[in-house]
Amino acid sequence: MDKLLRDKKAIIIFITPALLLFTVVLFIPICQSVYYSFCEYKGLTAPKFIGLTNYRNMLKDKSLVYALKNSLFFLIFSCLTQLVIGLLLAGLLTNIEKGRNLFKNIIYLPCVLSSTALGLLWMFIFSPKLGVNQLLAKFGMEGPKWLMDTSGFIILPMWVIAFVALWQYVGQSMMLYMAQISGISKSLYEASYIDGCSKVKSFIHITLPLIRPMVATAMSLNAIGSLKFFDLIFNMTEGGPNHRTEVLATHLYTQGFKFNKYGYASAIGVILIVLCLAVTAFINKVVKTENYEM
Amino acid sequence: MKNSKTKSTIIKVMIYVFLTLVAIIYLAPLLWVFMVSFKTNAEIFTSPFALPESFYLDNFIFAWTAGKLGIATLNSFIVCGVTLVLSMLIGSMAAFAIGRLRWKLAGPCMTFFMIGMMIPVHCVMIPLFTRFAKIGLSNSLIGLVLPYLTFSLPVTIFIMTGFFKSMPNELIESACIDGASIYGIFFKIALPLSKTGLFVTGLMTFVANWNELLLAMVLISDDTKKTLPVSLSKFVGPYNTNYSQMFAAIIIAIIPTIIVYCIFSNQIVDGLTAGAVKG
Amino acid sequence: MKRKLLAAILSVAMAATLLTGCGGAASTSGDSTASADSEASADGVQEISWMFWDDLNATEDLITKGYGEVIDRFNKDYEGKYHVTPITTNLEEYYPKLNALVAANETPDVFIVSPGPNLTDYVDPGVAAPLDSYLADGWKDTFTSDAVFSQMTYDGQIYAVPLNTAAACAFYNTEMFEAAGAKVPTNWDEMLDACEKLQAAGYTPITISAGTAWCLSMVAGYLCEMEGVDLAALADGSASWEDGKLEAAATKLVELSKYFQPTAAGDTNDVATANFYNGEAAILIQGSWAIGQINGENPDFESKCGVFQFPGVERVIAKSDSLAMSSSTKCPEACIALMKYFTDDTAQKYTAEIGGKIPVTKVEYDASVAPQQLAYVMDVFGNAKGTFGFYNESMPTTETGAHFDDTMVSVFLGDMTPAEAATDMEDFYASNCR
Repeated sequence: MDKLLRDKKAIIIFITPALLLFTVVLFIPICQSVYYSFCEYKGLTAPKFIGLTNYRNMLKDKSLVYALKNSLFFLIFSCLTQLVIGLLLAGLLTNIEKGRNLFKNIIYLPCVLSSTALGLLWMFIFSPKLGVNQLLAKFGMEGPKWLMDTSGFIILPMWVIAFVALWQYVGQSMMLYMAQISGISKSLYEASYIDGCSKVKSFIHITLPLIRPMVATAMSLNAIGSLKFFDLIFNMTEGGPNHRTEVLATHLYTQGFKFNKYGYASAIGVILIVLCLAVTAFINKVVKTENYEM
Repeated sequence: MKNSKTKSTIIKVMIYVFLTLVAIIYLAPLLWVFMVSFKTNAEIFTSPFALPESFYLDNFIFAWTAGKLGIATLNSFIVCGVTLVLSMLIGSMAAFAIGRLRWKLAGPCMTFFMIGMMIPVHCVMIPLFTRFAKIGLSNSLIGLVLPYLTFSLPVTIFIMTGFFKSMPNELIESACIDGASIYGIFFKIALPLSKTGLFVTGLMTFVANWNELLLAMVLISDDTKKTLPVSLSKFVGPYNTNYSQMFAAIIIAIIPTIIVYCIFSNQIVDGLTAGAVKG
Repeated sequence: MKRKLLAAILSVAMAATLLTGCGGAASTSGDSTASADSEASADGVQEISWMFWDDLNATEDLITKGYGEVIDRFNKDYEGKYHVTPITTNLEEYYPKLNALVAANETPDVFIVSPGPNLTDYVDPGVAAPLDSYLADGWKDTFTSDAVFSQMTYDGQIYAVPLNTAAACAFYNTEMFEAAGAKVPTNWDEMLDACEKLQAAGYTPITISAGTAWCLSMVAGYLCEMEGVDLAALADGSASWEDGKLEAAATKLVELSKYFQPTAAGDTNDVATANFYNGEAAILIQGSWAIGQINGENPDFESKCGVFQFPGVERVIAKSDSLAMSSSTKCPEACIALMKYFTDDTAQKYTAEIGGKIPVTKVEYDASVAPQQLAYVMDVFGNAKGTFGFYNESMPTTETGAHFDDTMVSVFLGDMTPAEAATDMEDFYASNCR
């Protein structure tokens, strides 16, 4: 049997297709992307090596500052809120019997829907002539300019978009935590009740430590997801007004495909890769600890 | 004792009230867009919240035909279907090699694949786009399948490796004794035993690609080859947007998913979560 | 067992090749719609492609519908000889897509392009072909004057053919003006005065869209013209954005914004235009292409819709849709034949009578059939001392134009003071344009 499992030919046949795809569609393009980031490349002419100029231009690019700020805001906001609200919902749902599946399915629903469609939908809900503001007007209130207000450090449109993202994706975190919670042995809780712990206390002392590995998983998923974030913003604000709601991904798209600055856009892409790797490493280091026996 | 019972009932009721509120936040926007999609443009602006005066179906017909959502749906199906089948096959083959076969580089290979999970597609978009344009793969559905497939592989490989690793050794041993080849073991024993894994990975792949906008937008320019999200985002024009048709288009885009979801919701939710738990 | 497996793998491989085969077939069949593969096909029909920024079937726009008719007419008249297939996108995606096709060596044979930096983008690398030799056969004489080509001429050669002209004007609701006792303004103070009167009478004086940045930027362009901003001097560095002119213009924009509808910041172009024809606001500053939309959505409105030139300026903002031909096309004759169809009498008559845009040729059209507003626009156009392009399309690069639009939106939102806007534009020009 050992011989069978060490069959070189078989190994090559099994692994080659995936390896080939990965190399051609992912690995080589990444290298190219890094190279382009040192080039002036406008699409219609060949790339020309210009050293660090693209990176130096970044320092002067105000939109990039907005994009970076918004991406980081988004990252932190979604990691925190998804953790808190996801856990809250998971905790509540595991404590009820009737309708658990119904609520669970409703909350999870937007995760499988097209974020393009949902982005457009929310854009209309927050547009001044339709949706929320008209509803508020019926009660004699004047709603804010949801998607156009530009005051404050983190502007209102970003909060709105972050809320919509939370609305769409919190089901994912909730489900992850629920799966982990339902995996915790009942006897642990029974023992704690006998010791006189309240439900809240046992949640803090038993549930939280035991789901810590899952927190790391869910958080890295959230973190990468929020750095990649594109669809909702593209359909709700397109980065406007005046680039104030730009994130790295939309900025990359605008620079690369609207203004044809492939070289500069590649440099943004490199920043994005570095951020993704750094954040994943950070989360896994800080949050993940050894697995407890359950 | 009685006291604590009423207390726990009150808490239960509060939980239900809270969850119902949450459910309303989730369902209200969807119901609203459904309602609005039956209205005419004038109705939308004059009374956005009233029930539609009549069921005005032209919006849907228009969005489906002239708005090219019909062909876009078909394209999405083709692209997602092909990607799904290929990623399950190629992914589980690689997973089998990593999880079951014995060779030195299995570990590094796995790491290589796992990096793919962390790389956002945006970073390779420009090289892909210029390369594909040169070899005639831009503006073709195959050109879309390739990156979709590649970006679906890491999750597939990760989950399937888990399944293959947890498979009991005895099964393989006995198959060996029966004289099965390694390929026979893969197709006849390993794959059938990991049906759940295949279902989960398939589902994740399909959902992710069905909703993918950015790559499709960049790579496809031909109207007859656009996928659903791209055709949908095209409905908002800078010169004029026809609101009622836009809403009808949104409904067309999400209704199939909602129907499938309603029928299989439990399997889908559990399946996707199972996938993510392992991932 | 082994043989079976081999068979299985073979079949997978076959399936894979089949799939790619299918894809290949699908993409070639699709290519006829998308690429420059304009070789004569087996039956001798020369295939060309034409790229445009609106969907010919899904549109409400009358001009676009007219283009659709031209395409149909061309394909019918030249059946068996030439055939053209449209490639359409929406306006937002148009240039990225066109660039993609150019990069892929699939440049559409004929494509629409705005004069200005957009056209320059295709003239400089030699993507667009010079058209003088084709124009020389009398085609050029059908146009109203040689001046229509001025924006498309590079080093004495013409690279694109205009199809129609639209002028940015102020449309106004005559009933509201009468009721408020306001009169048509001819200078800046009268404009403010009219707005004041309209507001006092309980009307929203101006409807505009800042959600669609170029709409606001069009007004800003007029205000800059009023202050004497010289774009050419700014581009070569002999003038500075910080010389106070832009600041003055931006200050005026802020002043005018008191009279905008309260939802201006979030309204899209459509909503802003709808506000006008639904009688919710008195003045709409828009390109004359909006005539079709206004009359189409509310036919009763035509009789009470007046037009005046943006007050305080002598020139008008004008924009021509124009067609360029790919320098790599294999069927230039077919392309030219198509372009001539766009400028023939039938098409130009349609432009004026139904589309409501200013024709570019000497065609005689029936003014009584044409929308009333067109006559007013023609008057404005005729009385103006020249034209200038949209500001965002008259700057060195498309990115610069977009930056100007965004900056003006920021000023309107109160995000930047006029002085900051001037500094910002100067910085942008210094690092990107000179």
